[in-house]
Amino acid sequence: MDSRRDKRYFSKKKVCRFCTEPIEMDYKNVDLLSRFITDRKKIVPRRNSGLCAYHQRQLATTIKRTRFMALLPYTVLH
Amino acid sequence: MAITPNYYETLYVTRPDLQEEALATIQNKLQDSISTNQGEIIKAEKWAERPLAYEIQDHKRGIYYILVFKALPDASKEIEKHLQFYNTDILRFMTLKITEEAANKSKASQEEKAPKAETTPAPKAEEPETVKPEITKEATTEEVIVETEANVETAQEATTTSEEGGNQ
Ligand SMILES: [Zn+2]
Repeated sequence: MDSRRDKRYFSKKKVCRFCTEPIEMDYKNVDLLSRFITDRKKIVPRRNSGLCAYHQRQLATTIKRTRFMALLPYTVLH
Repeated sequence: MAITPNYYETLYVTRPDLQEEALATIQNKLQDSISTNQGEIIKAEKWAERPLAYEIQDHKRGIYYILVFKALPDASKEIEKHLQFYNTDILRFMTLKITEEAANKSKASQEEKAPKAETTPAPKAEEPETVKPEITKEATTEEVIVETEANVETAQEATTTSEEGGNQ
């Protein structure tokens, strides 16, 4: 019973990946950043990315730089 | 107060069919801008040749070059000016201010990568391995964008022209 509760707890509560793991947000790291864009190439919102406010803001800036350098698309319509 | 040198990282994309001499001309200008501003190049290498996420001036692929250097702020301005001047050959460029630690890290990653650099051009190498092991937390937080307004404007121009079929 307790374990079930724990499971539910963990499936809901996400901890910011960039706070917990020693990964740097680099605009050249396309593999990492492409995990944070949707099918339509939009930046994943905070409720889905599970990032903290600080890192979500940093993610948005980083992805925009990546897009500018043509490493990621702006849209699916290109 | 004396102006002190900063660390910068410039990434630029050339058209895939750019001749070696033309590239050398551009790279020499960049080097001159750095050396005349009390600077030194920490790393200068080809980062990747890869498909562009969207067409730029009708080009579908681009060759990415990375330049990490330490110099006075004027150097980064001059570099941006040079890259802007060759805007038919240089499809995109961006200079970011980085921390000393990040700069040293990129130097280290170049040295460890150097021996196998010859064997890396695997066709599906979307992500070069140099980028992954970097773990400096502060690096990006202190990053200041030095991308010029002109740069952004050409970016938009380039995107719109490519949509219209391109007129350059
Ligand atoms: Zn965080």
